[in-house]
Amino acid sequence: MEAADRGLQPDTVILVGNPNVGKSALFGALTGTYATVSNYPGTTVAVTRGRMRSGLSTLAVLDTPGTSSLASTSEDEAVTRDILRAEKNAVVVQVLDAKNLRRGLLLTAELAQAGVPLALALNMSDEARERGYSIDAPLLSCLLGVPIAQTIAVQREGMQQLREAIAHAQPVRPFVLKGASVTERLVDVDTLLALVMTQSNAGRASPWAVRLDRLTTHRFLGLPILAAVLYVCYEFVGVLGAKLGVDFLENSVFGKLLVPLLSRALAWLLPSGAVQAFLIGPAGLVTGRYGLFSMGLAYGIAIVLPIVASFFLAFSVLEDSGYLPRLAVMADRGLRVIGLNGKAVLPMVLGLGCGTMATMTSRILETKKERVLVTLLLAVGVPCSAQLAVIFAMLAGVSAGAALWFVAVMTGVMILVGLLAAQLIPGRSSEFVLELPPLRLPHPGNVVIKTVSRIEWYLREALPLFLVGTFLLWVLDRTGGLLVLEHAAAPLVVGLLDLPRETAGSFILGFLRRDYAAAGLFAHYAPFARAGLMTRAMEIEVVVALTTVTLFIPCIASFLVIWKERGAAFALGVLAFIFPLAFGTGALVNVLMRRFY
Amino acid sequence: MRPQKLEELLETIFTERECGRDDAASILAHTNERHAEGKCTADFAVLAFEGLVSLSLDRVSLTQAGEVRAAFVVRRHRLAERLYTDLLDLAPDQIEQQACELEHVLSAEATDSVCALLGHPALCPHGKKIPRGACCDLSEIAHPVVPLSQLADGARARIAFLASRTPGRVSRLLPFGIAPGSELRLRQRAPAFVIEVGETTLALEASVAREVFVQPL
Repeated sequence: MEAADRGLQPDTVILVGNPNVGKSALFGALTGTYATVSNYPGTTVAVTRGRMRSGLSTLAVLDTPGTSSLASTSEDEAVTRDILRAEKNAVVVQVLDAKNLRRGLLLTAELAQAGVPLALALNMSDEARERGYSIDAPLLSCLLGVPIAQTIAVQREGMQQLREAIAHAQPVRPFVLKGASVTERLVDVDTLLALVMTQSNAGRASPWAVRLDRLTTHRFLGLPILAAVLYVCYEFVGVLGAKLGVDFLENSVFGKLLVPLLSRALAWLLPSGAVQAFLIGPAGLVTGRYGLFSMGLAYGIAIVLPIVASFFLAFSVLEDSGYLPRLAVMADRGLRVIGLNGKAVLPMVLGLGCGTMATMTSRILETKKERVLVTLLLAVGVPCSAQLAVIFAMLAGVSAGAALWFVAVMTGVMILVGLLAAQLIPGRSSEFVLELPPLRLPHPGNVVIKTVSRIEWYLREALPLFLVGTFLLWVLDRTGGLLVLEHAAAPLVVGLLDLPRETAGSFILGFLRRDYAAAGLFAHYAPFARAGLMTRAMEIEVVVALTTVTLFIPCIASFLVIWKERGAAFALGVLAFIFPLAFGTGALVNVLMRRFY
Repeated sequence: MRPQKLEELLETIFTERECGRDDAASILAHTNERHAEGKCTADFAVLAFEGLVSLSLDRVSLTQAGEVRAAFVVRRHRLAERLYTDLLDLAPDQIEQQACELEHVLSAEATDSVCALLGHPALCPHGKKIPRGACCDLSEIAHPVVPLSQLADGARARIAFLASRTPGRVSRLLPFGIAPGSELRLRQRAPAFVIEVGETTLALEASVAREVFVQPL
């Protein structure tokens, strides 16, 4: 085994490759467990680890974010460089898109200069054949001096060949692909390509895919497509997930079945009032019952889960279809106004699902200024899916005019904050250069696995928070602390925002999660809306309360992620900025609406 | 007078004229110290004697022969700047130093091949005109070079050179295969430029598209 000649037996395999070459699918095929398979550079943000068998031993396998060049400036691409530097005892497997060999080999040249033991996986070799490329892999292997396997990762083809290649990994032959500058390396690569690759013009991408691809980024026709995609997503998440799913789980499963059943069982088993209240809760003041089970779990699972799950499913389909980068093209001009470029649309859209996850995805942006801007905007005004559901529910209870006020105020604040922050935050914005992967029919298996892993992540992050929050509320309720806090918050809520005293409680909940607060408000106003008794004053109250709550910090989890990603000073700064912004805007909307609405 | 010093003076006369100045004092003040040490007004007399400049009072102007010589030095200097900026990505002070050396040693043939390698660029990294050589005229007849932003929708072109005033921008495009010699097809210009290079489809903003220079095919 050649690798053994260097003294140490390698214990790690690092997968490296350009974006969208099927690296994550290959990782899954090698290790048996799936990483997130994605069309967009950045979703494999955290490096995925797995293990593979090789002969009698097992090797660790690391999946790195898709990278165009080891000399890149974006945070997630730099990860690859750091891993190569850190893992001394590793074999590198570069995954190449066989139909885009030129770009792949440019990265190979960089790996050649790094001198790491290398094996190549020519992936998507079926697509390359369809497009009329024929590659002389044995000759390429011979010229480079590294073993090559031809693979089709999604069908797990060529894996045995790849395992053998990994066992015989070698540094690239000296003097091949050793140009000092990128331009020289390009010349090297083109020379190599002329020797090993021929293209017949027979095959091209299927005509409907080409036509659809054009339409998605067309300056006029792209807009109705964008609207249609958004509408389908809304129907799926807003109607199927938020209405039908929530209705079923909340009313049928939890409300009618589990909670009464459990409370009866408990009353029989544990006659103690305090324990009962702890698990099921007393009849509540603001949000119903503060019981760990009846509120924490019921809220987390019955209300939030169906929305989040349907959102992540829709997002995964969009992501795997390759549409998201096209959305970035359409949004580029608009985002430019607030100091960002089209790329920022991805964390923003993900923010509609979960702000915490979106804050982490801001790593795909190239400059610090952009990452800071997106983090700020996510914290200020992008409502997550849990919150969106409550917002939709509340707006349904008021007139269209009042709903319009809310939408206009939120849009205005976002643009204003973006404009100001773009001026005030130092640093530069990057140019918009984004690769558009081919449009593909999403692979159902990959979509499911990806959605499930995201839901898992969400439950792990959010569900404990629901329980902790509910527990705190229970303690506050029992000790009378809730009343004290409500008293303390009353001047602000009643005096500044003109809201009824009882809503102060939901604002306190808002510090845990802003959708908690919105849910509290919903509970307060829903009976009136249902009975058709909403007055003009109440509609104003709803808009004022919703505006203030939506501008809050999303939730404790997202605050902690902001802290982790951008540092303590920034996180505290955001808090200090958002608190007066939320209440100030609320107060202003109150004054304006009383005069003009 | 050493040839380097002579060329240095001619170059300064040329560049000072671009700034609208032709008095001996300001030319001497702007001449590069390193190659023209001990410079003085008497040097102009030497140039005049060689038939390269004509003098009247303290004004200096290039003769026809001087013009050719000066333009050639300036051409080599600015092409060298382009070379170091676009392809080697050196620091600005490094670029200036290297360009000052290279302008005295490049042969006429070498200059033309550098020019061709860079795709016959029209401007130096500071935005000043690069005096044209015979090679530029020939290439223009065959394939005029235009910025990508002026290419028609659906047109095919070969990338001639990348000329960016922002350091680092060019090196960002190279890994995508956007490099001199590559063929591309412009798919659309709005809302963003979309180009296809091989099997890679790339969206670019207009300001980047203005810095990619191509020969339409």
